[in-house]
Amino acid sequence: MIRSCLLLLRRVRAFVVRDFQLAISYRMEFLMRVLSILIVVTTLYFISRIFEGFNDSKFAQWQNPLAAWLTGLAMLNYFMTGFSSLATAIRQEQMQGTLESVLLTPINVPTVIISSSAWDYVQATLYSSLYLFFGWLFFDVRYRGNFILALSFLVLTTLVLACLGILSASFAMVFKRGDPFGILLGAGSALFSGVFFPTQLLDSGFGKVSRILPATYGIDGIRRVLIQGQGFSQVREPMVTLLVFLGVLLPFSLWVFGRAVRRAKREGSLIQY
Amino acid sequence: MAGQIALIKRPVAVSIKQLSKTYPVLFARLKQLLRRPSKPPVEALRDVSLDVYEGEIFGLIGPNGAGKTTLTKIVATLVQPTFGTVTVRGYDSVRDDRRVREQVGLATAEERSFYWRLTAEQNLIFFARLYGLGDDEARKRITELFKRLELLDLATRRFGEMSTGNKQRLALARALLARPPVLLLDEPTRSLDPLAAARMRDLIRTLAGGDPPVSILLTSHNLAEVEELCERVAVINGGRIRAVGTPEQLRALHRQTENVSVFARGVPPDQVVSALEVKLTNLEIVEQQDELIVSFTRESRDDCLDFALRTLQEHGANVIDIQIERATLLEVLESYENEIESMYEN
Repeated sequence: MIRSCLLLLRRVRAFVVRDFQLAISYRMEFLMRVLSILIVVTTLYFISRIFEGFNDSKFAQWQNPLAAWLTGLAMLNYFMTGFSSLATAIRQEQMQGTLESVLLTPINVPTVIISSSAWDYVQATLYSSLYLFFGWLFFDVRYRGNFILALSFLVLTTLVLACLGILSASFAMVFKRGDPFGILLGAGSALFSGVFFPTQLLDSGFGKVSRILPATYGIDGIRRVLIQGQGFSQVREPMVTLLVFLGVLLPFSLWVFGRAVRRAKREGSLIQY
Repeated sequence: MAGQIALIKRPVAVSIKQLSKTYPVLFARLKQLLRRPSKPPVEALRDVSLDVYEGEIFGLIGPNGAGKTTLTKIVATLVQPTFGTVTVRGYDSVRDDRRVREQVGLATAEERSFYWRLTAEQNLIFFARLYGLGDDEARKRITELFKRLELLDLATRRFGEMSTGNKQRLALARALLARPPVLLLDEPTRSLDPLAAARMRDLIRTLAGGDPPVSILLTSHNLAEVEELCERVAVINGGRIRAVGTPEQLRALHRQTENVSVFARGVPPDQVVSALEVKLTNLEIVEQQDELIVSFTRESRDDCLDFALRTLQEHGANVIDIQIERATLLEVLESYENEIESMYEN
């Protein structure tokens, strides 16, 4: 068991090192990305000054809109990685033509897909941290509360979204393009999960959409902890909701994924794109 | 025949039994439901059975679209068969696919199977890690392979900047990383210069004859290479194995006779005609300057050549050259191609 775990970790590390080496072969891209985050944070700071002195108890998380936006964007960046990186990883390997040579090694398809997306999480962690770091360094944004609790929200929400990512990867494996999960969840989460504005502003129709998105509970939980300083007993509701999502989606997505892999092997289309 | 007996004594490395593969039509039921026209399913392989023995170099020849790639991919576990089984050193390619991949190395001429922005060494280290090799072990093995394949000077060069021939050598290096007992080689010398191709063929022979021996399934359109390297060859066409045997057996299946020409000096034709006529068929004797050319037809490996040489020497002739014109594997391939074409015409 320990040996298998070590072997798995060694393989994940192989993918991370490979993707790091590929990333540093495009140095300018990294610098431009860091610069663009700084520009976004600066822009949001100036927009937030319009709302200076805003003090409505109904929108407790939004009394400092810059803090709300930065946590929202940092989390959205992470969540998007959760549900898009698995499908992107498999599509990229298919398009590069390297999937076949990777699948010839004694490594199973789920490990390939999970490991291929590992670098995306490393990148997402870095870029998400930069949103929070630039806010703290240049614009005096203060975070409080229990960071471990915030981290558990982040991990839990990412796991739930990764289940949707597994469904998305299954779709990419069979249908190759036009993945509805990526399109609907990507746009839906950015619009309805409270990244840019409070979900309380949505009318009853859109409010329902907001309530079925796991990202809504993740962002709400993290903001309650980091901005409002709430403890575990106060954030139990979004935490339990995310656990229910995970309990339903994890076995379902793994079942769908297994079927997709078998179908692609039967059709001989595993490496087609 | 002796060669065959020696082969059968060796254990089977790859066993293919009644293998069939039909690629299904994507979303056939949906198309049927929507009454949309759809192509029929593609039958890539049909009832293919063959064994590759330990340390054997087994050739697979056939025209494009014959089913060679599908067969190789099934052995490599990349595609699942519709019917039948493939076992590699006792492991089933569907049930024990991970174990099979531990036994098999595949080298293709496909350039897109590497990361172009990584160096040759970075590429191989990545794949070595996937095979479960530790970093030190991987580096040692990669240096050893780079030396063997004359790639040492190119270790730090990006894959995208390498020549086609060197890319192909790197593909073989990758296939050999984990010392697999079974190698699948697709056109191993396609992009190599003649000297590099000869060295590659030597390497293939060395691997097969090494300790432990490597079993090699080689697909190629270079029939001279197949004939030079392979102990046995299978002709595949239209997804079916048409014939399996040593190159000599295949040639004999196609054409049992061969044309022999003996070049001699120092004997007038009228002295030997009657002596040779006794045994040789289709005999032709031509005098060209001071040389006598004696041509005849013989059954493969019969004693007619021995008879002709003895008779000429008994009459004081000095034999200076012998040419034997046999059927080639190309003719064998053509005959099966024609067979398929006439089958469709009828």
